[in-house]
Amino acid sequence: MTEWGWVAFAYGVAYGSFFLYAGSIALRINRARQSIERSE
Amino acid sequence: MKVQTRIRWWPWAAVALSLVVAFTLSMISPRDDVQGELVRIMYIHVPAAWLAYVAFFMTFVGSLTYLLTKNLRWDRIAAASAEIGVFFTGLTLVLGMIWGKSTWGVWWTWDARLTLTAIMFFVYLGYLALRRTTDDPVARASRASVLGVLGAVQIPIVHFSVVWWRTLHQPPSIVRPDSPAIQEPLMLITLIVGVVAFTIIYISLMIKRIELTHLEDQLTEIEHSTDQPVAGEAVVVPELGARP
Amino acid sequence: MTTGFWHQVRAVVHRDLLRERRRGDVLWVTIPFGALALLLVPLAIGTDASLLREIGAGMYWVIVMLFGVLVAVGKASRETLPQQDASSLLGLDPAAGFVGRTVSSAILLLAFESIVGVVAVGLYNIEILAPIWLAVTILVVAVGLALLGTLTASIVNSTTAGTALVPLLVAPLSVPLLLGATQSYDGLRYGHAIVSWVSMMVAVVIVVAMIGVLTARPLQES
Repeated sequence: MTEWGWVAFAYGVAYGSFFLYAGSIALRINRARQSIERSE
Repeated sequence: MKVQTRIRWWPWAAVALSLVVAFTLSMISPRDDVQGELVRIMYIHVPAAWLAYVAFFMTFVGSLTYLLTKNLRWDRIAAASAEIGVFFTGLTLVLGMIWGKSTWGVWWTWDARLTLTAIMFFVYLGYLALRRTTDDPVARASRASVLGVLGAVQIPIVHFSVVWWRTLHQPPSIVRPDSPAIQEPLMLITLIVGVVAFTIIYISLMIKRIELTHLEDQLTEIEHSTDQPVAGEAVVVPELGARP
Repeated sequence: MTTGFWHQVRAVVHRDLLRERRRGDVLWVTIPFGALALLLVPLAIGTDASLLREIGAGMYWVIVMLFGVLVAVGKASRETLPQQDASSLLGLDPAAGFVGRTVSSAILLLAFESIVGVVAVGLYNIEILAPIWLAVTILVVAVGLALLGTLTASIVNSTTAGTALVPLLVAPLSVPLLLGATQSYDGLRYGHAIVSWVSMMVAVVIVVAMIGVLTARPLQES
């Protein structure tokens, strides 16, 4: 793999997992909020 | 129970802005004489490692303060920080492995810092696993905070033992990391901006993660307070004489 | 039962050892399992005598760390919820309970280390150097592992995932003990000073003992 290939791989892993994690937090917040609203 | 209606969006905006700035600088900063383009991995690897340590330190502070004050707010801080810490420790390990493979040709070296980071990852993975075992916020907080303190107090000893072990057994010289010499001011600036950006990301994620813990606690409270069938919907009373 | 601290500790140790004598969990399950693990390693990596002699001591300590934890999780030194309630109603000092359970775990661990140690020496032909230092190492590791195991077992106590969770929590925290034990053996072999490794393990013992005693009450109240 070329140097730029490795850099792209590293940034892909970092930013990809980052968006997944942030997304999971946002999703879980939404779900919890909806459950609370439903139970009221 | 009043649901928290205000939705905070600015943490997400701060995260996005920090990522864009850090990414742009990492790409325009010059290539390194020794490492070539691979030096750019450093601009995410080092800040991620820095954040992992900050996050675990906050878990320690939150756990200790909870034990002293019994205020659940501190337990939420500890829990949120531990999860973010585990995420960034995992990221640090993966990025370190990618950097290692591309620079020295091996995925893993028994370098003291790398070994310590891996051990920390498992300590706090255990912390998160412990939190999943009970729903009762108070019992969970007491147990988790003792572990949070134990883990943090043990880490300096683990660090010391691992460093000492490594100084006795020097790794073969081919896999000795040549740390990139930071010759250009732009490289230093990029690294500093990276650390600042990741710190902003940490704070923003903490705010959202604490909000989530708060909501989950509310939800557990509602589930326990309302009248519900004891076994929920999982158990259906068999109907005698019913056709299959 | 408002007797002195050490009297209470003795009572707890007595109870735990009595329970182990009746159930025999450590003697009939954990120790054979550890010995079996030592038997399996050469089957997997090869039976070259000099290789086994080289890795023997290290394998022994790994087995002690991974399987020894099971002693602290074992029923003998773990209290069920009704037992906990009974103890606290009788006025048992939670710190005395912690120290007592640690002492009984340490005694059982010493038995584990000794028997599995004999098996390891036999199977791997391990050279025994400086028996006094070896005894000190075995004792310190037993106490340190007992402390870590008892503290974590009381943290996860009464949770369903307890038995699986304790080894995961203890293993990374026992790294200083593992390195201390293996490095002092290497030190003896190559003639280095090992006092510093032993003192590091003693430091672990002191730190964990302090945390255990200080947090015994809040843990019980939860």
